[in-house]
Amino acid sequence: MARRISRRTLLRGAGGVAIALPWLEIMGQPARAWAGGTTAQRFVTMYTPGGSVINDGSGNNRWRPSGTETDFTLSSILMPLEPMRHKLLIYDGLSLLSSNGHHNGGMQSWLSGWGQGSDGFGRGPSIDQVIAGLISADKPMRSLQVAVRWGTGRTHGLVHPLNSPNLEDAEGNNPIPPRLDPQAIFASLFSTLDPSTAPDALARVARKKSVLDYVDRGLNGLSSRLSGGDKQRVDQHLTKVRELEQALDEMPPISEVCYAPELIDTSDYNPDTGLNSNLAGDILDLDTDASIPKVGKFMMDMLVMALACDITGVASFQWTDTEAKHTFPWLDLPNHHHYYQHDGGFAPDQLEKIYTWYAGQHEYFLQQLDAIDLGGHSLLDETVVLFGSEVAQPSNHNQENMPFMLAGGGGGLRGGRFLRHADLADRSHNNLLLAILRLFGDERETFGNPEFCSAPFSDLT
Amino acid sequence: MPSLHTSVGNVGTHTAVVAVWLMSSCYVGLPQDGSGVDGNSGADGGSSTSADDTSPPEGCVAGRSSAPLRRLTRFEYNNVVRDLLGDDTSPGNSLPSEISGNGFGNDAETQTVSSLLVEQYATVSEGIAKRATESRDKLGALAACAAEIEAGTPTADEETCARELVTRLITRAFRRPVADAEVDELLSLRAAIRESSTFATSIATVIEAVLQSSDFLYRVEVGEVGEDGRRRPTGHEMATRLSLFLWGSIPDDDLLAAAEAGDLVAADGVRAQAERMLQDPRARVVARHFFDNLLPIGSLATLERDATRYPLYTPQIGRLMREETQTLLEREIFENGGTWPGVLTAEHTYMNAELAAYYGVTGVEGEAFQRVDVDTTQRLGMLTHAGVVAGTIHSNETNPVVRGAFLLEKIMCQPTPPPTPDVFDQVDPPNPDSAPTARERFSQHSEDPKCAGCHAVMDPIGFALENYDAVGRWRDHENDVLSNTKVTIPGLGDVSGPVELARKVAQDPRTHACFAVNWANFAYGRTLGADDACVRQDIEEAFAAADHDVAQLLIELTQTEDFLFLPEES
Repeated sequence: MARRISRRTLLRGAGGVAIALPWLEIMGQPARAWAGGTTAQRFVTMYTPGGSVINDGSGNNRWRPSGTETDFTLSSILMPLEPMRHKLLIYDGLSLLSSNGHHNGGMQSWLSGWGQGSDGFGRGPSIDQVIAGLISADKPMRSLQVAVRWGTGRTHGLVHPLNSPNLEDAEGNNPIPPRLDPQAIFASLFSTLDPSTAPDALARVARKKSVLDYVDRGLNGLSSRLSGGDKQRVDQHLTKVRELEQALDEMPPISEVCYAPELIDTSDYNPDTGLNSNLAGDILDLDTDASIPKVGKFMMDMLVMALACDITGVASFQWTDTEAKHTFPWLDLPNHHHYYQHDGGFAPDQLEKIYTWYAGQHEYFLQQLDAIDLGGHSLLDETVVLFGSEVAQPSNHNQENMPFMLAGGGGGLRGGRFLRHADLADRSHNNLLLAILRLFGDERETFGNPEFCSAPFSDLT
Repeated sequence: MPSLHTSVGNVGTHTAVVAVWLMSSCYVGLPQDGSGVDGNSGADGGSSTSADDTSPPEGCVAGRSSAPLRRLTRFEYNNVVRDLLGDDTSPGNSLPSEISGNGFGNDAETQTVSSLLVEQYATVSEGIAKRATESRDKLGALAACAAEIEAGTPTADEETCARELVTRLITRAFRRPVADAEVDELLSLRAAIRESSTFATSIATVIEAVLQSSDFLYRVEVGEVGEDGRRRPTGHEMATRLSLFLWGSIPDDDLLAAAEAGDLVAADGVRAQAERMLQDPRARVVARHFFDNLLPIGSLATLERDATRYPLYTPQIGRLMREETQTLLEREIFENGGTWPGVLTAEHTYMNAELAAYYGVTGVEGEAFQRVDVDTTQRLGMLTHAGVVAGTIHSNETNPVVRGAFLLEKIMCQPTPPPTPDVFDQVDPPNPDSAPTARERFSQHSEDPKCAGCHAVMDPIGFALENYDAVGRWRDHENDVLSNTKVTIPGLGDVSGPVELARKVAQDPRTHACFAVNWANFAYGRTLGADDACVRQDIEEAFAAADHDVAQLLIELTQTEDFLFLPEES
């Protein structure tokens, strides 16, 4: 991996212009060394809504592979993942025991291992945020959350237990809204990677830093006059401002493995569709639905580069929220996902089309991670990717036999396998989350609701 | 129970204990004490939904009010930058979503701060600042001397001009008199930037900083203790309370003058301003915002419907449906002295020719909305508007459960708890082909003892609305079977169909209390719960005393202990 140096160094070198600013010292940091079997370096969660077709109504599980741990045949739904099966660990039979049921209960539980608290959100941090504290705290972004079609249906774009599974690892347990606008995400991640804009970018960074210094002082002063929940929220604001100040200091250099992905035209895609219904309410979304495949690919490309560039070490990708109230014109499915789940009666054939398509998208994502060569091993080899959902069976919200998959080689994760825990007395997915934490070197005994933790699964490696 | 859990409110979060209590409440019918809190908190699954004892505690005494620190919402941010800087691009839409909380996204307790929010504050304010300084005219709007400097014909030196500009800007942005030190701090920021950039950029940087500052984003209330020993907002803080509540924006000159004259200390001074402010068009925008969040009319242009089954529904019709409801509300509230029960039983509505044709109403010409008498055998009041009955439905089939749950939660504030997980596992949703009418398809809930407790209340309400199809048009038949809309609803009695349902709901005291509580939640940035019996009592009584006049309710909300005072400092 390329040595990380500060953006200011990069910009000075690239622009070749001496700029009179007080902070042009070298700030390089050595990259973490990687060796197979050491702790995992990156973590990704990949969410698709409504589980899968665990029971098609005739007793057939159209998601579950058949065969043994190492000699198995992928189901029709998972077949698109065949090229990446050697990096996949398909984990069947687990239940969301810690969930209090339902779409929002599952959405909160699947990453936090907790049921919902009084505010509707999970009672503890989500695993991605805990891992961010372990591997990503000193990176320009502590973690990155993106979503493609989000805030659909009744949440009207408001952050809600139905759409926000990422919960901060801090007092107050705050849900993290995902980023939705592909152009804004690109600008935020990659706009400063272009050395040709160096002098302007440098002046802009200086200006932003001065502004944030001022904002910082004001928040600090306000905080000192507050107490209780008011103080907690203002302190949280201050913390985020300081993180942004820190992020302005460090951005990665362009290298063979770190470069901006191709910026595509997304003018036919409105990231706010479904949001802001209180302001406009007259947004047509046919083009936006049709653009989901294109935008999804672009978002995956950006996410891969955010990891490759070490802009962040932890990312969460949501294809949508649990409501999934958007259509699939490219699959010739005119009703929304939830309609096929149960709103319009359970429709296993249509759902199979949707979940098969999602499997194909996941295959693409894993291929891109695997294509980044970090010198003898791929980016995927350092990474743990958790693929999951908030329920197993969409027709009745059953949360047994969850369609979970891991991928990658981080922490010694061994792929090419299909594990069934259906017969085990302990099938709580909290134990899977614990096992994932061990891949990152975290040895805690419980994660989420202790009631549903017995021992971390030992069969990941 | 196919869609209940996904389509109305956010049922779903509950502790076992609360769920048990709520389930049992369904069996006895609707609680009779109006205790259900607002449907939105129920929707959010909070355990606060279920005040089973809301008789006001002893001692609804002075100094008990609650005033959490509030941050501008996206809606307010847009309005404020428009009034402060003339920027009408709604830049706040680029800020991340609020947490739904009380259903209006403005519950102070849920206003957490994410990295994305802070980053977007920076990005958005950069854009606003650039637009506000991009021309000589724009600079001139900030301070006349700034245009002269930009033109190269200064009559004052830059520093003097900047001081004038900054003082004026932050007095309005911070909504209070400012100290010299606050101006100096921004001037030194400006001076540092000016060393390597233009005058305009240095001013832009100041604006960028102000828009991200805590004094701008937060509604800081220091308060002061009056001669009566009571702690209350300062005059300027009260002006801000009034303007953000009734206009969603910053105070105007009249309000500031009243604040400086000390006219906002006594309740009647506050009342006089509130009465004036309701005459301003900005109050209508706030009401629109409120109802867009309360009612399922925000997404009517994007209903997902099969065009072959519903050829008359178009996005344009969806927009007109929403306009119908908002127009009725606006005219009734702001022009006709309308009451909430009156809105719910109005024998007239507003349509243009295109919408009238959709309804099958004749004799309406032109694009302008006009008053139309309704056929009261089919429609009566806002709850029977096509948009209101269509907006809860998320598929091609009507769903009586969802319609019933909407009405219970949002209009009557009666929580509808989610089924327990074990119930979910045992119940399959009805197949659209399983029976010709939704009533038959959904009747299993009332028969199955596991589900009957709650569905016995929810479903009949929805059944009574079965004369409206999935796009809100009237139907006598569904799949050639006559729609049976005669029902008995626990707590409401026998109902012969949608019109009588509207009438009974409109008369129910829980409906009145619910409306008042929803407005209080919105106005105070709270989610009133079991601990707020005093404030609930205040506003419910005030609403009743005003004969349920909606505009009067908004004024009375400025007259409560919670609005006029701050909590005593501990």
